[in-house]
Amino acid sequence: MGLIELAAAKALASSAVFLFITLLMMASAKRISTCIVLFSVQSAIMAAEILAVAYAGKSVESYAVAALVIVVKVVAIPYLLFRIVRNLKASQDVASSTTGAQSVFIMAALILLSFFAVAPYAKTLRLDEDLLAAAIALLLAGAFLMVSRKKALMQVMGLLVLENGILLAALTTTFGMPLVIEIGIFFDLLMGVFLMGLFVFRIRDTFEHLDVSKLRRLRG
Amino acid sequence: MTLVLLLLIPFLAALTVLTCKQSRRAVRVAMSAGALEVAAIANAVWRVRSAGVLQVGRYLRADGLTAFFLLNVGVILALVLVYSIGYLRHIPAGRFSSPRWFYSLTFLFVFTIMAVYLSANLGMLWICVESTTLASALLVGFYNTKGAVEAGWKYLVVCTVGIAFALFGTIALYLAAVKSGVNPESALDWAALMNAAPNLGATRDLIKLSFVFVAVGYGTKIGFVPMHSWLPDAHAEAPTPISAMLSAVLLNCAMYALLRFDTITSHAIGSGFSHTLLLIFGGLSVTVAALLMVVQRDLKRLLAYSSIEHMGIIAIGVGLGGPLGLFGALLHTFNHSVAKALMFFTAGNVRESFGTLRMKRIHGMARSLPWTSAGLVVGSLAIVGMPPFGLFISEFMILTAAFSGSRYLIAILLMVSLSVVFGALLHHFQRMLAGKRADVPSKLKLVPTDFAVMSVCTALLVMFGVRIPDAFAYLLQRALVVLQ
Repeated sequence: MGLIELAAAKALASSAVFLFITLLMMASAKRISTCIVLFSVQSAIMAAEILAVAYAGKSVESYAVAALVIVVKVVAIPYLLFRIVRNLKASQDVASSTTGAQSVFIMAALILLSFFAVAPYAKTLRLDEDLLAAAIALLLAGAFLMVSRKKALMQVMGLLVLENGILLAALTTTFGMPLVIEIGIFFDLLMGVFLMGLFVFRIRDTFEHLDVSKLRRLRG
Repeated sequence: MTLVLLLLIPFLAALTVLTCKQSRRAVRVAMSAGALEVAAIANAVWRVRSAGVLQVGRYLRADGLTAFFLLNVGVILALVLVYSIGYLRHIPAGRFSSPRWFYSLTFLFVFTIMAVYLSANLGMLWICVESTTLASALLVGFYNTKGAVEAGWKYLVVCTVGIAFALFGTIALYLAAVKSGVNPESALDWAALMNAAPNLGATRDLIKLSFVFVAVGYGTKIGFVPMHSWLPDAHAEAPTPISAMLSAVLLNCAMYALLRFDTITSHAIGSGFSHTLLLIFGGLSVTVAALLMVVQRDLKRLLAYSSIEHMGIIAIGVGLGGPLGLFGALLHTFNHSVAKALMFFTAGNVRESFGTLRMKRIHGMARSLPWTSAGLVVGSLAIVGMPPFGLFISEFMILTAAFSGSRYLIAILLMVSLSVVFGALLHHFQRMLAGKRADVPSKLKLVPTDFAVMSVCTALLVMFGVRIPDAFAYLLQRALVVLQ
């Protein structure tokens, strides 16, 4: 293994720590806009990782994927979400059902759990344990945000974090999928966020609130 | 070219319809585009039948299994479009709620479904399944009422999260293939994966992991219990032609995706693991849906739970495996589509004449709406698996497969659930049908198109119950070859 590859691998490994920090901050965030900024930062870290991979592997495709992440996840989606937040003119509170301390505690537990979960796979497949754990932690964190925050926009945030986890998993295990597939996934994601934004406005117009825990007309 | 046309027609139709300001023109454009699409489907099915496999470039491919499911789409699309002529008279004006938006979104939905069936690559398959959700979410929320917006939101969020798990599973399979020495560029291509499948055994754990995630992911979209929460809401709140599309086309579409993964998994590590998982999901769906059908109060929700039950039956058929189980399962997807389309059409008529779908408030249907009631009776007899309708044959095959494989537990579970469903439907429908002539709030006159779709459905159901046409059986055999 060459020196540059080693350096890239080190950079990848330490970036897992930054990802964990964004997760913990997201758990303690009280305002939706803070979460959006954190998501953007998280995506930027992932873009840096992909750039490291691209540099080490000298692959043009990975550069393209990094560019996609920067355009879609660092800029476009946060911009879209900020526009929605501004036009909604609603309160910015995330309406968490757990307190800030509890959320941070649960998030830390989830991170720990993901380390235990990946340990057997990381050994047999000779993969980077920290990054694989970060991927699983992002998945779990996304799910946790979706169930514990009541605002419709926070569910979108949870989904985006979950999606980041899947991207990271693909990146660490296979150094990315074929480019056409990646482009398709990003396109779907962008359209998904766009549509969910549309539905957020509709929920506000028809229900006059954005608390999805109160959407309980349809049961049984 | 044959395959490209299948995608091109609905895509162009979606754009063209949008430019038609007059609703009559929109309907006319939609009908002609629909006719073209159905003709293109028939052509494609015919070509695949004689040529075996059609491949265009790297990403479009059609084999026997595709052809079988394309036929299903063609039949249901034709029925739904014809039915929508009569149905659209009732659509109130409003934002997004006009015939041209309705048809435009419907064709976009058809475009994504076609893309699912034609994709030659499992990554592509995932992208297309996800875009079916995106294309149909606005249709589910089409009426913009409180219920419709809630159902649309739930559908969008639950299915997107579910499908995200399927992406994870797809990545795991990709990793397994790459680790086993398949070229990374083609490691998601169906043909390459099938060739490499026997050598994937070394990454056993990874393949199991992949199938679990895929089963949960696509299972969400199929409506397996316990991931079914979006399904009754979406089916109940969507406009009726779309409910029929969701139940008769979209669920099969997700089932098709799962079938592809099941085949690869079975080839790689033996069928034991994936089939057991399918039997568990299937058994759970059949039992829970049957019990929930007893307590339903809304006609369309009742039908939605019945869809969950039938998807469970299909999963059981696949899970039992063998030629008989698979044949029964595939035949059942087709039969269920036709029967469920018929029932949703009658439910739409009921909704327009009684102004409600609450089954408690509907009485004396047999006297005030004789033809619709006849359709409902035929549909429900078919759906519970009575002879001489097609579903009897396919359910009988699946049960036979269960008994001949000495899977007594699953056979008994299936039989008990089917009896519960029979009782539930009898209980609900006899209350709705019997009684004095009710004063129907808005007198609904059935137009010729309504009669046409209902009689075509009935004819198909009876035809498949009496004797499966040779051409169809041949197509089914072709599909089975792909799966084995």
